[in-house]
Amino acid sequence: MIHKLDPNSKIIYIFVANIAPALIGARMATASFILISIVILTIGKVLHKTAPMLEFSGLILLTVAIIQGIFHQGNTTVAFALGSVVFYKEGLMFALGIALNVINILMSFSILVLTTKPSDMVETFVHMGLSPRLGYVMSSVFQIIPQMTKTMATITDAQRSRGMETEGKLKTRIKAFFPLISPVVMNSLISTKERAIALEVRGFGSKQKKTFLNDLQKTRYDDIFRFVLILILILSIFWRVLIWLK
Amino acid sequence: MTRIEVQEMHFSYTEQEPILKGINITLDERSTAIIGQNGAGKTTFVKLLKGLLRPMQGKILFDGKDIACMTVAQIAKHIGLVFQNPNDQIFKNNILDEVMFGPINIGMDEQEAKRHSQNALAMVGLSDCEDKNPYDMGLSERKLIAIASVLAMDTDVVIFDEPTIAQDYRGIEKIKKIIRTLKAEGKMVLTITHDMDFVADCFERTIVFAKGKILLDGQTDKVFSKKEELSQAYLEPPHVTQLCNSLGYDKVFLRVEDFVSYVKSKGIENK
Ligand SMILES: Nc1ncnc2c1ncn2[C@@H]1O[C@H](COP(=O)(O)OP(=O)(O)OP(=O)(O)O)[C@@H](O)[C@H]1O
Ligand SMILES: [Mg+2]
Repeated sequence: MIHKLDPNSKIIYIFVANIAPALIGARMATASFILISIVILTIGKVLHKTAPMLEFSGLILLTVAIIQGIFHQGNTTVAFALGSVVFYKEGLMFALGIALNVINILMSFSILVLTTKPSDMVETFVHMGLSPRLGYVMSSVFQIIPQMTKTMATITDAQRSRGMETEGKLKTRIKAFFPLISPVVMNSLISTKERAIALEVRGFGSKQKKTFLNDLQKTRYDDIFRFVLILILILSIFWRVLIWLK
Repeated sequence: MTRIEVQEMHFSYTEQEPILKGINITLDERSTAIIGQNGAGKTTFVKLLKGLLRPMQGKILFDGKDIACMTVAQIAKHIGLVFQNPNDQIFKNNILDEVMFGPINIGMDEQEAKRHSQNALAMVGLSDCEDKNPYDMGLSERKLIAIASVLAMDTDVVIFDEPTIAQDYRGIEKIKKIIRTLKAEGKMVLTITHDMDFVADCFERTIVFAKGKILLDGQTDKVFSKKEELSQAYLEPPHVTQLCNSLGYDKVFLRVEDFVSYVKSKGIENK
């Protein structure tokens, strides 16, 4: 279901999820958006894919917490001490703020990246005004990786059929490098040339304004989703204004 | 005499989709064509024979020995496979070196490898371009280079995957000659192909794959007389056979020469 949402809606989500907490100015708001992102990722069945990214950033955030906890400028209230090292509450809270923001950004971007087909994402960008050439480059990067793995597998099969060892000692692996990599390079050079010609004969370089094969499909869910998001945004602007007026 | 026995073999790439569902067959010295619709599992079958893929169930015996306990490199000494696309294997910038790569890998010394390679190049008719760069040659010649590089390994079994693709009449005749020569040398020849006239011309035995099973297996002319089963596998008999069928002949011909000599001797009217 999340996968079917229009990528534009997900981009709006990223925008709101990061602007609204800043407007409201409370950690609770950031935390709530993280929670919402987790719920959305769970519905989309892709929550587990965020794990490696979170582990990596978690490590960095931990370092931030340690450094800020000890050395933050406004440190006055002692939180706890490990031996002779003293951690202060202000620094830790400051680090918590950073952590929440970073995780919020990561999670909201994950929704877009993990639940949208790369080609749809690129198409959305092109709709938004990215040049089709650049869009093509972006989407071919997504295509080329699985394709390269496939050619690599065929080439490995072909050379193994000719009695070449590919597994085992480092020396055999190094010896196997050229027989495997040269056909890959040659094949991609050949296919690049062919692809360029194929694109050109179909008018890729034409100066005419291009139309799109797929209209972006907005569903009823998109409308509801966007409505709620805009509402949150407006409410948080109100909140900000109220604080100023006080 | 070389023999490959396949017993109750099952294979699938992914759990949901079985590709081969219980193959039982014995391959012998008869030259054999493997035909069947796209995606029927022909390439998968020969990759299993080469040990590039391993069966999920069942076994493959090469001269009575289970290939499960042989490495791909060991199997390569006995079974040669020419891949569909020559670009997937060519990496040297000299044809002779390219052809010698296989023989040296399977343990021939430099001189023996060179001798075999030169013989193989002679067989495909590329003797006089030993020193050229494979990438300066056209696709059909590169395909012949790929064939030579497998022939040079002097294996008991030679398997071709779609050898006639991208070949003109002369190229196809050359490949037919190679297959007949290999047969005369007592080697087992297996060929995957979609070219029925080629099958009729060159192969004693034909195996039809359909939906992961063997639908027909037997002498080539017997197999081509089974019209219903063939159309069930989305295959057509050779063109001459179709012509005989359309003309309403009782006698079925597979080869143009046979048909022509029959008509010449009888006259076209009295069938
Ligand atoms: N590496 C792979 N991973 C997953 N599925 C595969 C793989 N290779 C082939 N298949 C699938 O296995 C089935 C049989 O493929 P195979 O290449 O053996 O067919 P084939 O009979 O050789 O067809 P063709 O006449 O087109 O060459 C096809 O449905 C194909 O999509
Ligand atoms: Mg195939």
